[in-house]
Amino acid sequence: MIKKLSLLALIVISLSSCVVVKEYEKVNLNDPDMALSDKKVDRNVTTMHSYREAAAGANGGKTGGGCGCN
Amino acid sequence: MKQIVFIVCVFLGLTAYAQVSQDSTSVYKKRVLETTEIDILSSYYSQDGDNAAVSGGIGTEELTDATATFVVAIPLNDDDVLTIDAGVSAYTSASSSNINPFDDGVADPFQASSGASSSDVWANMTGSYSHSSDDRNSIWSAKVSVSTEYDYFSLGFGGSYTRLFNEKNTEVSINASAYLDTWNAIYPIELRPFGANGSGLGNSLFTRNTIVGNPNYNPKFTEFADESRNSYNLGFGFSQILHRDVQGSLALDLVQQQGLLSTPFQRVYFADVADSFIENFQLADAVEELPDTRFKVALGGRLNWYLNEIVTLRTFYRYYFDDWGINSHTASLEVPIKITDKFTLYPSYRFYNQTAADYFYPYETALSTLDFYTSDYDLSEYSSNQFGFGVSYTDIFTKAHLWKFGLKSVDLKFYKYDRNTSFSSSIITTGIKFLMD
Repeated sequence: MIKKLSLLALIVISLSSCVVVKEYEKVNLNDPDMALSDKKVDRNVTTMHSYREAAAGANGGKTGGGCGCN
Repeated sequence: MKQIVFIVCVFLGLTAYAQVSQDSTSVYKKRVLETTEIDILSSYYSQDGDNAAVSGGIGTEELTDATATFVVAIPLNDDDVLTIDAGVSAYTSASSSNINPFDDGVADPFQASSGASSSDVWANMTGSYSHSSDDRNSIWSAKVSVSTEYDYFSLGFGGSYTRLFNEKNTEVSINASAYLDTWNAIYPIELRPFGANGSGLGNSLFTRNTIVGNPNYNPKFTEFADESRNSYNLGFGFSQILHRDVQGSLALDLVQQQGLLSTPFQRVYFADVADSFIENFQLADAVEELPDTRFKVALGGRLNWYLNEIVTLRTFYRYYFDDWGINSHTASLEVPIKITDKFTLYPSYRFYNQTAADYFYPYETALSTLDFYTSDYDLSEYSSNQFGFGVSYTDIFTKAHLWKFGLKSVDLKFYKYDRNTSFSSSIITTGIKFLMD
């Protein structure tokens, strides 16, 4: 587990040091489909997952509170 | 615990690394939000299965839910945004109806009853406020939320801080929140006479009906003394632009829960206790008992790749574990395909699996001598597949109008979810976005 996380951190650091993308080069990154979060329309799907599945969190969704016990 | 400390250190290290190339250049100050935005979200959800937790791991899981939510984001000035989020969700649940299966017809775990517990309404309101610095490299936010349903009340509050570096190529964030929840515990109807001041088998439920099987029905039951449930969340985020067409993020969420983590109306049937029935319904031997603390850790990553003007790849992976013995993997892929300048298609696939909680026992397998037990199949071992498809219409010029609001986008999505057990569900969701003129 620790080895895997270390490797992941190294990959992220090494990749992030490759390039700095200027504001005027971010046209594609600013596309709504490139957002690093779920679209609002998917909110109730994420809620359903958090109610029916044990795992939750680390996806920008709700991680506590509420019942969801029915 | 060492693993968690290590993960936190990795995130703090990434933060420190990012600060090396801090960008402090002042640039033209653009409004954070140009105009008021309104999102109208709705969904219709249905599920079914044969392992209802209310009836101890057997019985119908049929449930339908309709939800409507309004999200209004209002720019207060160049830097500050107030967001009001209000939603209502109305559901009918066959399994919940069997909290009291004896109120009409023949009692049976595979048939819905018509009692008060067969439906409920959940209502939520969240207010959040965010402030961005002049250079747009720092963002503070705070939120307060309230939600309520018949047997549950939740009060939540939290805040977050986000910092951008490297000409906004790198972003780190930290967030914390707390939910202070309270149950109004509802117990299975046949257990209530065995609670404090109950009359046991002298109750009219047992004098009006005949107990078959073991007539000396004597459940293991004590009402829960503590009906509070508190959740404390701490989250770290790191995102990075990797290329002019690729960006990714990592997120770590730590959640500590304490209080009443059992669901008071979920029955358990023991293997070492003789069975008692009224009609076709087996009387509960107990309600589920779970520890009063739970620590959850979720580590997730996203990687999005703008392949070309038509196709984008959106990927997500999450590893999760908790101290109830559950380990889980989630992976998903969505491939937005722009078919015209206004329409985009959204095919998607999601895989999920989890191991069982240490306290999970299928129907009639737990022993009455155990301290903790549940037959809730949401805590069992299973895997699931979800297929989705959606279509989105976007008009960046907001030509269509409703009063002072221009229509920005319309989203429609459908998802089909199947476990490798009897459980399956589907959901159709819509989202409509308006911008104020």
